[in-house]
Amino acid sequence: MRDVAIVGIGTTKFKSRWLDKTYYELAFDAAKMAFEDAGIDKDRVDSAVYGIYNDFFQRQYQPDAFVHDYLGLGLKPMVRVNSGGATGGAALRIGYQEVASGLQDVCLVLGVEKCADTYNYELQMATPEVLRAILYTADMTYDNPAGRTAASGFALAVVAHRDKYGNPTEEQMAKVSVKNHFNATKNPIAQSPKVLTVQDVLDSRMIVEPFKFYDNCLYTEGASAVILASKKVAESISDNPVWISGLGASVDYVMPGNRPNIYTFESSRLAAKKAYEMAGITNPVEELDLAELHDAFTGTEIMAYEDCFFCEEGRGGDLIDDGTVLPEGRLPVNLSGGLIGCGHAVGATGIMQTYEVCKHLRGEAGERQRPNARKGLVQSIGGTLCTWSICLVLER
Amino acid sequence: MNSAEREAWYRYQHEKYGIPVEHLRREFEEELSGKNSMDAPLEIPDKMEVVFKYSYGGQSRFFRELRENKALYGAECPECGKVFCPPRSHCHTCYQPTQWKKLVGTGTIEACTVQHYTTSSFIKKVPFVCAYVKLDGTDSLLMTNMEVDDVAKVKVGTKVKAVYRELRLGAITDVYFKPLD
Ligand SMILES: [Zn+2]
Repeated sequence: MRDVAIVGIGTTKFKSRWLDKTYYELAFDAAKMAFEDAGIDKDRVDSAVYGIYNDFFQRQYQPDAFVHDYLGLGLKPMVRVNSGGATGGAALRIGYQEVASGLQDVCLVLGVEKCADTYNYELQMATPEVLRAILYTADMTYDNPAGRTAASGFALAVVAHRDKYGNPTEEQMAKVSVKNHFNATKNPIAQSPKVLTVQDVLDSRMIVEPFKFYDNCLYTEGASAVILASKKVAESISDNPVWISGLGASVDYVMPGNRPNIYTFESSRLAAKKAYEMAGITNPVEELDLAELHDAFTGTEIMAYEDCFFCEEGRGGDLIDDGTVLPEGRLPVNLSGGLIGCGHAVGATGIMQTYEVCKHLRGEAGERQRPNARKGLVQSIGGTLCTWSICLVLER
Repeated sequence: MNSAEREAWYRYQHEKYGIPVEHLRREFEEELSGKNSMDAPLEIPDKMEVVFKYSYGGQSRFFRELRENKALYGAECPECGKVFCPPRSHCHTCYQPTQWKKLVGTGTIEACTVQHYTTSSFIKKVPFVCAYVKLDGTDSLLMTNMEVDDVAKVKVGTKVKAVYRELRLGAITDVYFKPLD
C-alpha cells in the first residue's frame, strides 16, 4: 500500500437550510474550495468518491451522477458511498483505497447533504418529514412500522449502557452539550454556536428519553471535500500535507437482536482498534492531540470515549467530569463543536470532521487551535445503533 | 399570477399531492402573488412516491399466520437451535434453512425508551414507548411500539404479551404488546 496524504480541504458553512443552493451547487462550492486549497486544477483529479446519504433528502436517486456532471469531472471514474451517519467516513475509506492501491494518484472525496427541502405542511416544519425520510433506512418490514427514529435507536443503547454501568448521567450528557455548543462559538462554519448552562440543557424539552432537545444534533445542510494524493504527488504539490496514518472500519449486524448486547458499539471498538494498530498508537489519550467524535447525541459521545479506548469500558462519563475532553484538557473532543455544535450534514459530516482535524494539524484553526497538534482522530459512525464505524488517524 | 390563476394552482397541487389548499396558500401565497424577486429562491411542492405489491418471500408464512390465525412464529435453526423473531429463512451462522416454530406470544422488554418527538407518520401518537422485546422461546429482539396508557409502566424486564388487532392487514403492526399483569 502507498502512503496517502490530504492535500486540499474545503467546506461550506453548515446551516439549517441552504435555500439558495441545490445539493450539486453546494457540492460545487466545497469542491472549488478544496481544489483552490490544494492549488490544483480539477482536471488533475483522477477519480472521485461521493458521500451522499439519503436520496429523499436530495429528492434524487443516484445524486452522485449529477454532482459528478456539475463538477465537470465527466469521464473520470467515481463511486457513491452511502453508509448512514458514517457516510463521510466511509467515503474517505474508499478514497484512501483508490490512492493507496496505486489505482489513482489524486482522488476527490466529497460529501454533501440537503435535508430541509423535505417539509411537513401541517406542522410547518421540516424535521418530522426529515425523520420520515430517514425511517426508510430502518428495516421496512419489522422496524419502520414501529415508528422508531435514529434518536430512539441510539437512546435504547444509551439507556442500556446506563443500566449496566450507571452512566452517562443526565448531568454528564448535559456537560457534553454545553462543551460542544460552546466550542462551536469559535468555529465560523458552525450551525449551532451557543453558550448554555448545564441547567439549560436539563430544562430543555424531552425528545426521546434520555435525550432532551440540547442532547441532540440538528439536521444540517452543507458540503465538505478533501483531495487525497499519493506521496509522490503530495510532495510535489503540497507544503502542508496531512497523512492518513491509520484507518479502521467495521460494520455490525443491523438487526440489534443479532448482536450479543446493545450497551456497547462493538463496530466502533473494532474500527478504533484497527486504526490505532495501523498508526502504531498504544495510548490514545497520550498520543492523540485532538479527536473529532460522532456526537449525534451527547450520550453517544460519552460511549465513544470508551469505544475509542480513551478509558476503560463503562467509565466514559468520567472523562467529561474530570475535564479530559474539554478544550484545555488532555484530549479535547470536538473542538469543531461536533455534530451538536457544528451540525450533521450527514454525507458531509465525516469529511467536515476530517477538515477540522486538518485545520488543527496545519495550525489554521484560529481561536480554537489545539497548540502544536500533530496527531488527531476522526470517528464516523452511523446506522441503526451504530451499524457502520470508521476511524481515521491523521498526522502532519 | 392573478387570483384565479393562484386558485387553479392550489387546486392542482392539492389534487396531485394531497396537501390541503389552506396549507398551500399559507406557504405559497406570497410567492404566487409576485412579492418575491425574480432571483429569489423558488420553492415548489413535490412528493416521491412508489406503489408496491410487495412479496414477503420466505417470511410469508409469518405474516399469514399473524393475519389468519393471530399467531406469532419464530424461525428455528436445526443446526444451532437459535430461534429468530423477526424470522429469517436461513440461519446467518450455520447457513441452514430454518424451520417454523409457534411461539406462545409472551416476552420480556430488553430495552425501551419513550418517544416524545418523532416522524410525520407517528407524531400524533406521542408519547409512546419504543422497545426491543425478546419473545419467549426466541434468541433475538423484535422492535415494537407499545400501546400503554402510562408510558412509565414499561421498563427493562417488564413481561409483555402479544395483542392482535381486530383488523389485521398482514403486517408486523397486526400485533402489539401490552404489559402482562
Ligand atoms: Zn444456526
